[in-house]
Amino acid sequence: MTHPGDGTVTIELDQRDDGELIGIILAAARRGDVATMARTASEVSEMTRNWATHIPWDDFAALDGADDELARVVADLTEMWEPAHLRNPVDPDEEYALDKNAYDFYRPAGRNLLTRTEDFYDWVQARRRTETWQYSRVLEAAPDSVAQITNDLGRRARGINFNSQDYLSFNTHPGIREAAAKAMHDYGPHSAGSPMVLGNTRISDDLEAALGDLVGLEHVTLFPTGWAAGFGAVVGLVRQSDHILIDRLAHSCLQQGARAATRNVVRYEHLNVEAVRRHLAGIRATDSRNGILVVTDGLFSVDADWPDLVTLQQVCREYDATLLVDVAHDLGSMGPGGTGVLGMQGLLGAVDIVMGAFSKTFCSNGGFVASRSPALKQYVKMFGGSHFFSNALSPVQTAVVREAARIIRSAEGDALRARLFTAIHALRDELTGRGLTCMGEPSPIVPLLIGNEKLARTANRLLFDRGVLAFMVEFPVTPTGSSRFRLQVQAGHRPEEAREAARIIDGALADSRAYLSSAFGSAPR
Amino acid sequence: MYDAIVIGARCSGASTALLLARQGHRVLVVDRASFPSDVISTHFLWPHGMSYLNRWGLLDEVLAVTPAHTTVEVVNDGISLTGSVPVELLREYFRDLHGDDSGVVQSYASVRRRVLDQILVDAAAGAGAEVRTGFTVRELVVEDGQVVGVRGRGADGEQVEERARIVVGADGRNSFVARTLGLPKFDERPRCTFAYWSYWSGFDLGPAQLHRRGRLACAVVPTNFDQNMVLVWGPSEWSREFRADVPGNYQRTLDFVSPELGETVRARGVREERIYGTLDQSAFLRPLHGPGWVLVGDAESAKDQCTAIGMTHAFRDAELVSAALDRWLRGAVSIDEAMAAYEGRRRSQNAAAYHDYVCTLAEMRPYRHDELQLFVALRGNQQETDRFIATHADVAPVSEFFQASNLFLLNDAAKESSADHAVFADFAGTSRSYQQNLFA
Repeated sequence: MTHPGDGTVTIELDQRDDGELIGIILAAARRGDVATMARTASEVSEMTRNWATHIPWDDFAALDGADDELARVVADLTEMWEPAHLRNPVDPDEEYALDKNAYDFYRPAGRNLLTRTEDFYDWVQARRRTETWQYSRVLEAAPDSVAQITNDLGRRARGINFNSQDYLSFNTHPGIREAAAKAMHDYGPHSAGSPMVLGNTRISDDLEAALGDLVGLEHVTLFPTGWAAGFGAVVGLVRQSDHILIDRLAHSCLQQGARAATRNVVRYEHLNVEAVRRHLAGIRATDSRNGILVVTDGLFSVDADWPDLVTLQQVCREYDATLLVDVAHDLGSMGPGGTGVLGMQGLLGAVDIVMGAFSKTFCSNGGFVASRSPALKQYVKMFGGSHFFSNALSPVQTAVVREAARIIRSAEGDALRARLFTAIHALRDELTGRGLTCMGEPSPIVPLLIGNEKLARTANRLLFDRGVLAFMVEFPVTPTGSSRFRLQVQAGHRPEEAREAARIIDGALADSRAYLSSAFGSAPR
Repeated sequence: MYDAIVIGARCSGASTALLLARQGHRVLVVDRASFPSDVISTHFLWPHGMSYLNRWGLLDEVLAVTPAHTTVEVVNDGISLTGSVPVELLREYFRDLHGDDSGVVQSYASVRRRVLDQILVDAAAGAGAEVRTGFTVRELVVEDGQVVGVRGRGADGEQVEERARIVVGADGRNSFVARTLGLPKFDERPRCTFAYWSYWSGFDLGPAQLHRRGRLACAVVPTNFDQNMVLVWGPSEWSREFRADVPGNYQRTLDFVSPELGETVRARGVREERIYGTLDQSAFLRPLHGPGWVLVGDAESAKDQCTAIGMTHAFRDAELVSAALDRWLRGAVSIDEAMAAYEGRRRSQNAAAYHDYVCTLAEMRPYRHDELQLFVALRGNQQETDRFIATHADVAPVSEFFQASNLFLLNDAAKESSADHAVFADFAGTSRSYQQNLFA
């Protein structure tokens, strides 16, 4: 048969398939019958002969039955036709633990909500058994730059602590502890109820004023957690016909707030202000009636970078959109006088809405929303459900945060931030000097890029025993395939501790790569 | 003395030789085979694969004899998605990887290797590369630990030695270069698929169709000579039983995965060749380069056929390695800098994520409830369906699609629910039945 433009082709329709032929060749090879091997080889398809270029198809007749060459042909053909993994299965537990990720369990099957969580639990158990489960470790004592912890199998470890968000090391600060004790003495442990009823105290008013002063926005509302502040601000302000443009890496409380508030959500490319401008122009081209909330973090908590807020706020004003910035990680820990990314960009008092959390530098729980508008404040208090329908911050928490805000603004705050950044630079320089990739900008968050989840989980297992407590982040916190260690530095870290930790991490990564026999690096592209 | 000797004159080798020769370098490219010549292959070129051909000025020649389409239909357990790889993502891919986005086309094609490899070899020769076919390399010439050339036997039976500044191993997953140098394998994922296929005339179904049901899959893609490549695949654990009756189980797989397709092939199809098969598809990486040598294509990174990406990746490697080698041969950078640039692109985080994506897919586990729900959520969302297809084809990074906030949004925007699809009716029972080896 002749194909157009392709000369003559032999039709191989009636020939035996390669599997059968290779079976015959293997059997012949085992008894040293090279004549049968050669005769059969000529019938093997061109497809397979050109694929398996390591098999000397044309030279079978010349193989000496006693030679190593024949044994090698048998080995190569066997590996091709019945690969080793079909003959020797691997440890299924570890394979299962390392090959899956949490997303694989996001939509469970079945109508029974109780039983359908079991597939996920099986996976958690496999990861716990193989000690690759990074969650739910508990502290044995107050954490400092060093902490003592127990993992969820009950195994203890002590290590240089990069798991605390206590950037200025306030947890062990005498002034902070004293403030907590005094509030406990004066008001007791309970907040009486919702801040809309009688949950707040005099300290709450002082704290609102102090925070307003720190960010330059005088109308401040307190929330019982940072998560509640982000979620409450978004669902309090945005309605179904409004629009939200949100940085695709913004914090979970804001993403979930956006989903709860409206279906008109655009997740714009991380930090891309021009993309925001394009989307705003697109929305305003067809909708001049409804609101648009643009949402971003200040310091991004997993990437350690921040947007150009000056341009972003300008662009928002051009299109009559409102900007909300989450300063949970940067406020207090960086910027002039602890004013964070806002202060660094000269934007104190100039951003529409600022929200923050007390769970980092401020050494407590809780969060706040601030703006220049008393009306917006009252509206969010009423319609952001997490304010109205939660008990208020406790008096002890409120007092701790107020004292933290005071120290942040003082000369002592400047000294603590200077120590913090000395440790940050020591850690980043040592990691980078070892050829590892620190993402983002110098800030209390040092994201060490790993990439592959298996590598990160294995390194995490080793670090537990080697004296470094580092939190491994993977999906759903980071996108699939871009896991990392998030190292959170404290003012209490000595530079030498930071460098020692970097050396240990480097060693654990090298060992994990060897263990997994992996050749992938961690450059993004 | 050549600038480069390329061992292997197929997708990665002929292309590397072509590009280096066009840059003005002295290139020798050798292959054991004489062309036209077939080899085990998916024959599939995704749109970036076609775009490479277009960038090199070879696409028209391929399209003159090969049907091409833009949309592809992917049916998973009865949930059908149709889409194409978006041009914008293709442009972004070329800009990121190669620094320019010229020549982007949106079509894909299945090209018989006897057609494509001939075109590539002719183009390499036309560009000034010296092409020797029917040439078997027997030895690498190594001096002071450095590969400096090859010894081999030409088509005339004559033993020859040739030398070059660099030897490029473009000789496939069973690479002679890699085996001779004793290179280790990294990132091995042994679980893979078995695949059987043949070429059928008698019907024309238009664009490519990919079907998956339980642990088995099939694809019908129009190819050269008015034929269709009809491919079935499944988990390698079932290969032994499949092999007991190749023609019978081939048809049985089609009938199971897509009864409609099974019927088309049975009633209207004329099989034009024997049924071919392989399960030599486990995934691995090899070291990319060393003193005097560098690997491209399947030789450096082999993986399962299930995303049909091998030929496209071979073209990608050819462009990357020829750009790197050109800078070195011109004296602009050191060989170490050139190879570091190549390695940076080929061993990146995105490359690792895609490697895992293919390897996990190649295990051919039945789709879980959540995965099928995702396909349901994608229906009617053309933009995200297209992005999913682009992700599957390694045009867009896995990390940008499989990202929590994106998946939540997909879920929220879903226009259909599981109620619209039969597979969810008795999901647990269906899922259990899928674990049964169909051929046992």
